[in-house]
Amino acid sequence: MSVVLSQVEKIKMKSDGLRGTLSQSLEDNLTGAIREDDQSLIKHHGMYQQDDRDQRDERAQKKLEWLYSFMIRLRLPGGFLTPAQWIAMHHIAGEHSTGVIKITTRQTIQLHGILKSHLKPTLKDFAAQRLDSIAACGDVNRNVICSAHPKESKIHEEVFQYADKISTLALPKSNGYYEIWLDREPLLKKEDETDPLYQDRYLPRKFKIAIAIPPNNDVDVFTNDIGLIAIIENDKLKGFNISIGGGLGTTHGNKETYPRLGTVIGFTDTEEKTLKAIYEIMTVQRDHGNRGDRKQARLKYTIDKMGVDQFKAEVESRCGFKFEKERSYEFTERTDHFGWLQNHEGKWHYTLFIENGRIANEKVAFKTALYEIAQTGLANFRFTANQKLIVSDISQKNKKKIEEILYRYQIISHTEQATPMRRNAIACVAMNTCPLALAEGQRYLPTLVGKIEPLLAKYELLDDPISIRMTGCPNGCGRPYVAEIGLVGTSYGHYNLHLGGDRLGLRLNMKSYESVNEEQILSILDPLLQQYSVKKKEFSSFGDFIYQNPQLITKE
Amino acid sequence: MLSEGKLRTLNDFIEKISKEELIWMNGYIAGLISATIPKETVSTSSLKKFTILYGTDTGNSKKLAIEFSGIGKKQGAKVKVAGMDTYKPEELAHEKNLVIILSTHGDGDPPPSSKKFFDYLMSSEVKYPNLEFAVLALGDTSYPMFCKAGEDVHEKLTQLGAQAIFPIQRCDLEYQSIASTWFQTYINSFPADEIETTLPIAPKINTGKKYYHGIIKTKINLNGRTANKETNHIEIKTEEPVMYEPGDALGIIPRNKKSVLEKIFTTVNVDPNLSVPYKGSGHTLLDIFTNRLNIAYLKESQVQKYAEIIGQSIPKVRMDLIDLLNIYPVSKPYQFIELIPSLTEILPRLYSICSSPQVRENEVHILVSKSTFVIDGEKRYGLCSEMLSDFEEGTELEFYIHKNKSFRLPSPETDIILIGPGTGMAPMRSFIEERDSSGASGRNWLIFGEQHFTSDFFYQSEIQQYASTGTLHHVDLAWSRDQKEKIYVQHRIAEKGKEIYEWIKQGAHIFISGTRSPMSEDVEKAMIDVIYAHSGKSAPESEAYWNELKESGIYKADVY
Ligand code: SRM
Ligand SMILES: Cc1cc2nc3c(=O)[nH]c(=O)nc-3n(C[C@H](O)[C@H](O)[C@H](O)COP(=O)(O)OP(=O)(O)OC[C@H]3O[C@@H](n4cnc5c(N)ncnc54)[C@H](O)[C@@H]3O)c2cc1C
Ligand SMILES: Cc1cc2nc3c(=O)[nH]c(=O)nc-3n(C[C@H](O)[C@H](O)[C@H](O)COP(=O)(O)O)c2cc1C
Ligand code: SF4
Repeated sequence: MSVVLSQVEKIKMKSDGLRGTLSQSLEDNLTGAIREDDQSLIKHHGMYQQDDRDQRDERAQKKLEWLYSFMIRLRLPGGFLTPAQWIAMHHIAGEHSTGVIKITTRQTIQLHGILKSHLKPTLKDFAAQRLDSIAACGDVNRNVICSAHPKESKIHEEVFQYADKISTLALPKSNGYYEIWLDREPLLKKEDETDPLYQDRYLPRKFKIAIAIPPNNDVDVFTNDIGLIAIIENDKLKGFNISIGGGLGTTHGNKETYPRLGTVIGFTDTEEKTLKAIYEIMTVQRDHGNRGDRKQARLKYTIDKMGVDQFKAEVESRCGFKFEKERSYEFTERTDHFGWLQNHEGKWHYTLFIENGRIANEKVAFKTALYEIAQTGLANFRFTANQKLIVSDISQKNKKKIEEILYRYQIISHTEQATPMRRNAIACVAMNTCPLALAEGQRYLPTLVGKIEPLLAKYELLDDPISIRMTGCPNGCGRPYVAEIGLVGTSYGHYNLHLGGDRLGLRLNMKSYESVNEEQILSILDPLLQQYSVKKKEFSSFGDFIYQNPQLITKE
Repeated sequence: MLSEGKLRTLNDFIEKISKEELIWMNGYIAGLISATIPKETVSTSSLKKFTILYGTDTGNSKKLAIEFSGIGKKQGAKVKVAGMDTYKPEELAHEKNLVIILSTHGDGDPPPSSKKFFDYLMSSEVKYPNLEFAVLALGDTSYPMFCKAGEDVHEKLTQLGAQAIFPIQRCDLEYQSIASTWFQTYINSFPADEIETTLPIAPKINTGKKYYHGIIKTKINLNGRTANKETNHIEIKTEEPVMYEPGDALGIIPRNKKSVLEKIFTTVNVDPNLSVPYKGSGHTLLDIFTNRLNIAYLKESQVQKYAEIIGQSIPKVRMDLIDLLNIYPVSKPYQFIELIPSLTEILPRLYSICSSPQVRENEVHILVSKSTFVIDGEKRYGLCSEMLSDFEEGTELEFYIHKNKSFRLPSPETDIILIGPGTGMAPMRSFIEERDSSGASGRNWLIFGEQHFTSDFFYQSEIQQYASTGTLHHVDLAWSRDQKEKIYVQHRIAEKGKEIYEWIKQGAHIFISGTRSPMSEDVEKAMIDVIYAHSGKSAPESEAYWNELKESGIYKADVY
C-alpha cells in the first residue's frame, strides 16, 4: 500500500542523518529563527523553535521579527541528576535561558527562551556534564521513564538500569548532533552511521516507553506506546509484562483521533528478550505505521488497524520467540510520596511539592534552595513523571543538614500545607511558549484549584487526593484523559471537562461538558462533590463515583 | 543704454555716496559680472600670492576653498590651499595674504577638526603686523551664534595686529552666490596702484531659509520590550514635495515644555501673558519662553549674569533655568525679566533623514533616539528628542532641510560600505531605499551595531527583505551586550578586514554615521589597521592612504 508521504517524511529522508541545513541556519545572523525544514529536524536533537506569542503583533509593528527562541529538553532516562550536574544546570539556566528549570511529565527538564546564538554554548555546557538532548523530541523513542521513588522496592536500582539500556538501544546512530552542536569531527567511515532501527526515515511519529514498578503507577504506564510492568516475586525481578499502543493525543473535531490505553500482550523474562521485544515492536511500527497522515501515525492507530493479534504475531515472528502469558500484578496508587521516606538500605529521600514543576525563585525560593543542597554534595536529584522532584539517597547522618536547608527555605511547610489535590495536580506548559496552546495551562490551574479547595473544605474532602489535570489543548501533555477531573483547553478561558477517570490510570475518563469556563466548571463540580461526600464510603474515588452514576452528568 | 528712469536713479544715488564707497562698488559690480560671465575672459589685475585656509566639518568651506583657488589660479594668482586640521599655526608668521573660510558648529564653536588651530590662535600672543586677511564665515541663521567662529578669528587676528582688508563676510546656508561674489571682490581688490581700500560692511544677506509644515503620520518606538532605550521611527507627511536628497538632515527647532514653563512662572511669580520687548517687537513672556529662549543647561556665563542680577554668589556651574530659580530664588519678579537679554535662542537640532524621496512621496522619515541623562538621581530627557518622542500621531511640525553636499551616494555602479551603528542607521536606510528603488548596480554592504539583537535591531524586517532580494550583499552586526565581552562595529570591520580592503581597492565608497566620539574615531583606527594588515603598506603609509581616502571624499562621515 503506497501513500503520499507527509512533508516531514521527505524532510527526514533528505536530511543526511538529521543534519539538514542546520549549520547554515545557525550562521544566519539576520534572524533568530532557523529554516523551515530545519525546524522539523532540530526536534530530533531535543529542541523546539518557539516564539513569545504574547509579543507577536507588537513586534511586527516595530519592524522586528517575532521573538524567536528555543526550548531544550534533556534526555534523562529515569530522570536522575548528580549534585554536580544540578549545579551546572543551575548556571546554564541562568546564563542561557529564562532561568526557570521546568520538570516535565516525562521525568526530565526543559529550559525555555534560549536564543539561537546560545544553543551551541548551552549544549556544550551540557556535554561537559555528560548530558545531552539527543532524541528528546522528534519521531524517535523519547525519554524513557521509570517509577521514580527508590523506596518502591529493593530492585528499584535494577529496574532503573533498564531505562538507560532501552534509551541507548533506541538512540539514532547519526553523528550529526556531535558535529553540529559540539563541533566534533565527522566520523571517518560514513557506514558507522547506518541505522538498522531507524534507517533514513526514522519512525512515523514520536514513540514513548515507560517502566512501572507496582504497586505504583506514577508513570501512567498505559499512556505509553510501550509500557513495561516490572514483575517482582519475593524481592526478585522476574521480568516484565509488556503493554503496547498507549497514547493520548487527540485533535478537536477530528473523529479519527482518540486517546487509547495500552493493551498487555504478554510477558518476557530475560533482559535479552525484553530488549529484543521492544526493538521489534518499534520495527513493526516503523514498517507499518502511517507515513501519510501524522494524525494517524502513532502506534495506537497502527495496532488498531492491524488488530492486536496480528500485530503481536508480527512482532513475535521478528523476535523469533513467543511472549509468555502475562503475570499478575496490582497497582494501588499513582501519586508521589511527599515528604521524607527511608528505603531498604536506610537512605533518606525527600519529595518536594513544586507546583507544575516550575523551579524558580517565586513564592518559594526553590532555585536557591536546591542550589544550596546541591552544593553540599550530599543528595542526588530525581524527577517524577508528575513534574515533582526528589532530593534522594541521603545518609542518616546527613539528613539533618538537608532538612535544615529545606526548612530554612520553607519548603517543608510549603509541601506539608498543600492539599492532596494541589500536590497531585498536573498542568502542561501551554501559554506563552507552546505554539499549540488554545488556553492556559500551568499559568492558570493553580488559581482554579484555589477556587475548588473551598468546595472541598465545605464537603470535608480536603484530604481526598482527587486527581485533577489540565492541558491547553487536546494533545494531552498533562495526561488529562486519565484524571478524575480532566480539563482540556478549547479556546482561551474555555475547557472541555472530562470526568469519571479512575485514580490509578487504568480507565479513561469521559468528555462530559464541552467548552465550559471557570464559573461553569465550579457550578458543575459543586453539586457532584457534595453528593460524592455523602456516598464517599461506597466508592473508592470521586472518579469511580461519577463513573458509576453517569446520570449525574446532565447535558443541557 | 540705461533707460531714462534708471539713469536718473543711478545719478541720484551716486550723488549721495562717498568716493571710497564708489570704489568698493566698482569692485562689487565687477564681481557680479565676473560671477556671470565665463572666467577665461576675466581681465586680470596685477596679483599677489595668497593662502586660503579653511576650517570645515561637513565639507562646504573646503569645497569653496578649492573652487576659489581654481578661480584665483586662472586669474594668474599663486594660491596655496590648506585645511586648519593640518595647517601649522607657526606658519601664520610667514603668511602675507590670507583668506580664511571657516564654518561654525556646535553652539558657536569651530568645526571639531579645526579646534586645535582655533584654540592655538585664540590663546596666541604672537603679533602679525604684516598679515593681511579676509574672513568668509559660513553659518546658519537659525543658530543664535551665527558665524561665531568666523567672527572670533576675525576679531582675534585684528587684535594681533593683522590687517582685515575686508570686514567679515557672513553667509547663511545658501552661501554659494554671495561667496563667489565676495571672492571676486577680494581678487579685484588687489590694487594696481596704491589706493587704500577700506570698505563699508558688505550687506549681510539673509537668504530666507525654506520651512516646511508637516504632520506626524506615524511614530513607532523600534525598540523591543527589554531594551534599555527608546528610539522612535517618525514619518512626517507634507502637502508639498520636500526637496532633499539621501544624506541630508532635517532641522527642527524644539519648543520648551509647558509643564516646565508653568513651574518657572509660578516660582518667579510673573504673569506669562505680560508683554515685553524682544528683538524689536512686543511679545508675551509665554511666547518667547516657549518658542525662542533656551532655558536648558544654561552656560556658566549666563548663570553668573543671573548671580549678579539677584546679588548673590553662585558657583561656576551649568544648569537648567528651572533649577537655578529653585535653588537661588529671585527676590523681585523683575529680576527675572532682567535676565532675558542674557538668554540665547533655542538651537535647532538635526536628524538624519532615513527615507528616500524616490520611494516616499511627500514624506520624510527620521529616527530619533530619546536622549536620557541623570541629574542628581533624577531621570531627565533631551529637549528635542523628548518633544519628538512624546508627539502624538497627527501633531503638526515645522522643519527645514539641512543639506549635506559631501554626504552623497556615488555613481550607481560604485560599491558602498555603510557603517551606521545606533541612529547612524538613519541615513543608511535612506541610501539603501534609494539604491533599491533605482536598481543601482553597485554592491551594498551594511555594518550595524547596537546593544541587543532581540530588542535593538532597527528595521530588522526591512533589512531581512533587502538581504533576501540581494539589494544588500553583506550585512554585519555587532551586539555590544549579547555576550560577556563587548563587540562593536569596529570589531566586525577588523574581522572582515581582508574583504573590506578588497572592496576599497575596487573603488568602494565608505559612509559612516552615528556618534562622533568614540565610535567614528575607533572605526577610523580600525580602518587604518585593516589597510596596514592587508595592503602590505607600512604603518605611516597606511595612515597616509586613509587620509587620502578622506581627502578625496571616498570616506564620508556624518557624525555627531
Ligand atoms: C513539557 C511537556 C508538558 C509538561 O508541562 O510537562 C510537553 C510539552 C509539549 N508537548 Fe507534549 N509534552 C509533554 C508530555 C506529553 C505527554 C505525556 C506523556 O508523554 O506522558 C503527551 C501525551 C501522551 C502521548 O504522547 O500521547 C504529550 C503529547 C503531545 C502531543 C500529541 C501527540 C499525539 O500523538 O497526538 C503533541 C503534539 C504533536 O506531537 O504533534 C505534543 C507537543 C508538545 C510541544 C512540544 C508543542 C509542540 O509540538 O510544539 C509542547 C512544548 C511546550 C513547551 O513550551 O514546553 N505533546 N506530550 C511534556 C514533556 C515530556 C517530555 O519530557 O518528553
Ligand atoms: C548632522 C547631525 C545628524 C544627527 N542625526 C541624528 C539622528 O538621526 N537621530 C538622532 O537621534 N539624533 C541625531 N542627531 C543628534 C540630535 O541632533 C540631537 O543632538 C539629539 O537628539 C539631542 O538633542 P536633545 O534636544 O534631545 O538633547 P539636548 O537637550 O540638546 O541635550 C543633549 C545633551 O546635553 C546634555 N544636557 C542637556 N541638559 C543638561 C542638564 N541640565 N544637565 C546636564 N547635562 C545636560 C545631556 O548630555 C544631553 O544628552 C544628529 C546631530 C547632527 C549634528
Ligand atoms: C551640528 C551643527 C551645528 C551648527 N551650529 C551652528 C552655529 O552655532 N552657528 C552657525 O552660524 N552655524 C551653525 N551651523 C551651520 C553650519 O555652519 C553650516 O551648515 C555650514 O555651511 C557648514 O560648513 P562646513 O560644511 O564647512 O562645516 C551648524 C551646523 C551643524 C551641522
Ligand atoms: S497539551 Fe497542548 S498546550 Fe499543553 S503543552 Fe501540550 S501541546 Fe502545548
